Amino acid sequence: MKECIIQTQDLVHTYPTGVTALKGVNLSIYRNDKISIIGQNGSGKTTIVRHFNGLLKPTSGKVLLYGTDTTQQKVGEMSRKVGYVFQNPSHQMFCTTVKDELEAAPKNFGFTAQETKDAVEEVVELMYIKDVLNVHPLTLDYTTKKIVTIASVLTFKPDVLILDEPTGGLDEAGRVMLTNIIEMMHRNGHTVIMISHDMDYVAENSDRIIVMCEGEIIDDGVPEDIFLNAPVLQRAQLEPPQITQLDLYLENGNQSRAILSVKDFVDKYKQNIN
Amino acid sequence: MKPIIEVKGYSFVYENTTKKVLDNVSFVINEGDFVGIIGRNRSGKSTLCESLVGILPFVMGGSWEGEIIVDGKSLNDTKGAGATDVIGIVFQDAESQFTQETVEDEISFAMCNFGYSRELMRERILYASEACGLRDMLDRSPFKLSGGQQQRLAIACILALQPRVIVLDESTSQLDPVGRDEVFNLITKLHAAGSTVIMVDHNIEKIAEYVNKVLVLYEGKVVEFDETHKVFQNKEKLNAHNVRIPQITDAALQLKDQLEITEAPIRMEEAKLVFDRYKREVGIK
Repeated sequence: MKECIIQTQDLVHTYPTGVTALKGVNLSIYRNDKISIIGQNGSGKTTIVRHFNGLLKPTSGKVLLYGTDTTQQKVGEMSRKVGYVFQNPSHQMFCTTVKDELEAAPKNFGFTAQETKDAVEEVVELMYIKDVLNVHPLTLDYTTKKIVTIASVLTFKPDVLILDEPTGGLDEAGRVMLTNIIEMMHRNGHTVIMISHDMDYVAENSDRIIVMCEGEIIDDGVPEDIFLNAPVLQRAQLEPPQITQLDLYLENGNQSRAILSVKDFVDKYKQNIN
Repeated sequence: MKPIIEVKGYSFVYENTTKKVLDNVSFVINEGDFVGIIGRNRSGKSTLCESLVGILPFVMGGSWEGEIIVDGKSLNDTKGAGATDVIGIVFQDAESQFTQETVEDEISFAMCNFGYSRELMRERILYASEACGLRDMLDRSPFKLSGGQQQRLAIACILALQPRVIVLDESTSQLDPVGRDEVFNLITKLHAAGSTVIMVDHNIEKIAEYVNKVLVLYEGKVVEFDETHKVFQNKEKLNAHNVRIPQITDAALQLKDQLEITEAPIRMEEAKLVFDRYKREVGIK
């Protein structure tokens, strides 16, 4: 039985503007889950994950992080366990060089000078950002900013890594790098939660998908099932990956599991042809 | 067809750096083209877009060689002036370019600066807001719109100036699927109405679905510039330049022998035809 590390109980969140972004959500996230949360803008994806490290507090209901109510824990302590990479990289950068930016979190969390140095060196290597270390982060192009913000959270290897729209603006090389990072974290026992509109990426890089619509969870399952559920996807205004759509068309929706990648598709039709 | 943009042996180096971000780039875009520019990050796509409108080097600095000719006039001769009369550019982060309190003021901002008459501004506000589906939002704050609406507003702002060429630099990368389709549908309509469109985008499936020609940049060089169909047949070459091909094209290429096709489909409707024919003739169990 996997350990439940985050649990929301009848979670409701109403913003000061009066908009109720979450309408009684019940969700359990287990250690080592590799989850994607998908849904339209305004469906509540970002609002829900911001409860996981206490950035937002429930209007009613509860959020438990490792069994303890998030209202009873300090945001600083929760942030050490739950690392959150914002969608807009400019929203989380405040130092004058990339190097300072990368050192900020480990220093804040009480790493020694040597530990900080090692942590920064490791992510710099991993994410190929050595040549921008002395650059002002806000002068970087969007993609490099994005990579730097992911790196700045990886420095302290949080138990739970939350990535809000990580592939926006990333090219193929960037996507491969991101996949390697997600795989590495997953292999080492971390939990990865990704919010994304990038269905191709979600299909190939999640073990579990949560579909949100208008502040509620309308589906929760493995990608092979989620992308077969046409009514739910339609309600959430989402499109399966292109290759999944072609297979759905060819099979008239009669298949038992959705094709998730080009490889899946080619294997299936090669088999049928022979 | 009449060339509207001619780039001749153009190279560009940013101020205080030595690397050629664009390296001897040459190509011609004709009036009415719908061109997708693809390539890995830092391959020079944005630098190219900003050079076409003369922001680089004439406003932001930097050194260059070669020339860019827009509607018959060399930007070298005009020092960049005149390019924005022909070309309107929309950036990735629409919100960062807004300064006004209402959608209407935002659309009229550039026109005010260009000294348009009040009557003409009124007419263009109606035209641009109608074309971009913003007619009901004229009194809304630009900052309170959804991502798709903001991108459409950024497009409306340049549309009001009625440019003959529209350049979109990753305008859809921050949008959800609905917002992204809103932008693609709008752009397709504008193209059908006669605009020349140049679009930088990482969404290969959408690029393949919509554009007529594809230009591939790699480390500042043009490595491919041809009709969309032709470009996406060459998987090895594109992959070597860090660009992937549409999923359906990839699958069809891998099944090429069985499907008995000489060219792989790049658009969904074409793929359906190819696989349907195969199903009929051979039968897929």
